[in-house]
Amino acid sequence: MAVNKLERLMNLTAALLATERPLSREELHTRVPGYPEETSSFRRAFERDKNELRQMAVPLSVEPVPGTDPAVEGYRIPPDEYYLRDPGLEADELAALHLAARAVRSSDGTSTGALRKLGGTVARDEPALESIGEVPVSPEVNTVFAAISERRLLSFVYRGERRTVEPRRLDLQRGRWYLTGHDRLRDGERNFRLDRIEGKVSIDDIGSSPVQPPGRPAWRHPWELGDGPPVPVRLLVDADHVGWVRRELGRSVVIEDRANGDAVFELLVVDGVAFRSFVMTLLDHGEVLSPPEIRDDIIAWVDMLAGR
Amino acid sequence: MSATRLTAGERLERLLSIIPTVAASPEGAALDELAERFDYPPDDLLSDLNEVVFLVGLYPFSPDQLIEVMVEDGRVWIRYAEYFEHSLRLSAGEALALVAAGQSLLAAPGAEEDGPLGRGLRKLAVSLGLGDDSPVEVTLGGADAEVLDALRTGVAEAREVEIDYYSFGRDRRSRRVIEPQRVGIVDGNWYVLGHCHQAGADRLFRVDRIDEAVVRDAIFEPPDEPPDIAVFATTVADPRVTLELAPEAGWVGDYYPHDRIDEVGDGSVRVTLPVSAVPWLERLLLRLGPSASIVDADASLPGDAAAAAARRIRDRYHRQ
Repeated sequence: MAVNKLERLMNLTAALLATERPLSREELHTRVPGYPEETSSFRRAFERDKNELRQMAVPLSVEPVPGTDPAVEGYRIPPDEYYLRDPGLEADELAALHLAARAVRSSDGTSTGALRKLGGTVARDEPALESIGEVPVSPEVNTVFAAISERRLLSFVYRGERRTVEPRRLDLQRGRWYLTGHDRLRDGERNFRLDRIEGKVSIDDIGSSPVQPPGRPAWRHPWELGDGPPVPVRLLVDADHVGWVRRELGRSVVIEDRANGDAVFELLVVDGVAFRSFVMTLLDHGEVLSPPEIRDDIIAWVDMLAGR
Repeated sequence: MSATRLTAGERLERLLSIIPTVAASPEGAALDELAERFDYPPDDLLSDLNEVVFLVGLYPFSPDQLIEVMVEDGRVWIRYAEYFEHSLRLSAGEALALVAAGQSLLAAPGAEEDGPLGRGLRKLAVSLGLGDDSPVEVTLGGADAEVLDALRTGVAEAREVEIDYYSFGRDRRSRRVIEPQRVGIVDGNWYVLGHCHQAGADRLFRVDRIDEAVVRDAIFEPPDEPPDIAVFATTVADPRVTLELAPEAGWVGDYYPHDRIDEVGDGSVRVTLPVSAVPWLERLLLRLGPSASIVDADASLPGDAAAAAARRIRDRYHRQ
């Protein structure tokens, strides 16, 4: 049974790839061996086969058969949409991608299929490598990725409004996907957290996205977001806490290493409320030195919470 | 190599890549190597080539319209399969999974941009229409390359590692000896799972909170099957607190694991959260301020966590 189905699917794919004009269902019934004779059984089997091909991402195109009136639906696979553009990977590059796919799996396990299409998995003598993590994937992320690579527009609802976005880049930041793109509704570059999109993401059929460089990374510290002018803020951190704070904020923002191990960080703050939230995570192991208005804001906040 | 039988769809997917690979090579291809590369049980591959691909072609299936398959001495040759001259392109999901996996490893400390992985990813991006400057990037929580190296050495050689660790939840820094069992990424942060001598139990440590890691000479007996990090991270029995959150504090429900969350009208919610340690609760309440109030708390938790912590901070600012 399985063999017959495989043979039929291969012949169907061959017929649809080789044809220059769309083939009607009836023509395919004649040209592809292995379908039941009886019309309704054939149609059911044909529907299943179409679904099988679509699930494999075979670009099955439905077009009217030329010269039919009323129009009859015809099928073909446009070769230029079907064929992989061979990236020309060297053996070591393919092996490195293979290792990466084994080390960092996608949550739906699709990356090994990709490797087979690129020539199979070649590394044979590699040490057994266990998974070190997982990339979260979802239909929405895949749609956004497809839109970026095809330079198409995206349409989705975000914070209650329908947006049309020219997608520029996708960032996986600390386990969450962010889209950066030009929001046509707001006429500006915006970041969107994909898990906050309401409902489905769809590729807009009309219009295309102009070619643009991918732009800056989507994720910045929360206090760097907003429209106001950035204010330089100096933050003193106790020696015992300099290590993790430095890894959180980056080494470049340390402006003074004190002899006792304490360090002074300088941060550019746009959103004072978000910055206060970060300062609170230091508990009493850090202190805002300047400017006075931000220092006073922190003092007023803890005075209020301490209940004077 | 999987021993289970492949479905018709899985065979089709593999054959659509195998045919162009073999057809492109005038000297054919070794069957056992193909079976290995494409994860195809060797006997099934042989019979599918002989009994199925052999019958594939175009209407009316006269001999000149059939794919030619020749198998001899463990090698296979394929000709006249022009319409299968290239593999099927990658689906968006497959391409993204591969690019993101590669970018994750490139984001790890110490990775080389110009190594085989970086070069392969750049070629892949160009062929996918993404251009030279990849629009997909992965950023992981900062971890020191030396610390990560020491932990990986400890796992690989089953040697103890001494770490200088800051427990963020408990707000306490300590030196501990661990038997590292796994190093991995959960939600974009590096973790090490290990048996902690001090605690006498398995513990999970965030690598970016480790200031120093030193591999010791002492070896340990690694467990046959160390627990999965992702599972370990979410199975904690901690006291609970129930907070009422104003709408602007609703993000708490997105960021922290919780038992339940209920709307209470006017956009406010009530959320019940596990509290790993008192300082964790202090930080959360200090950040939220008047947007949060405690509705109910386990008897082991202080009722005035926010006020006590706020007084310590206030004292610091006022002590000159």
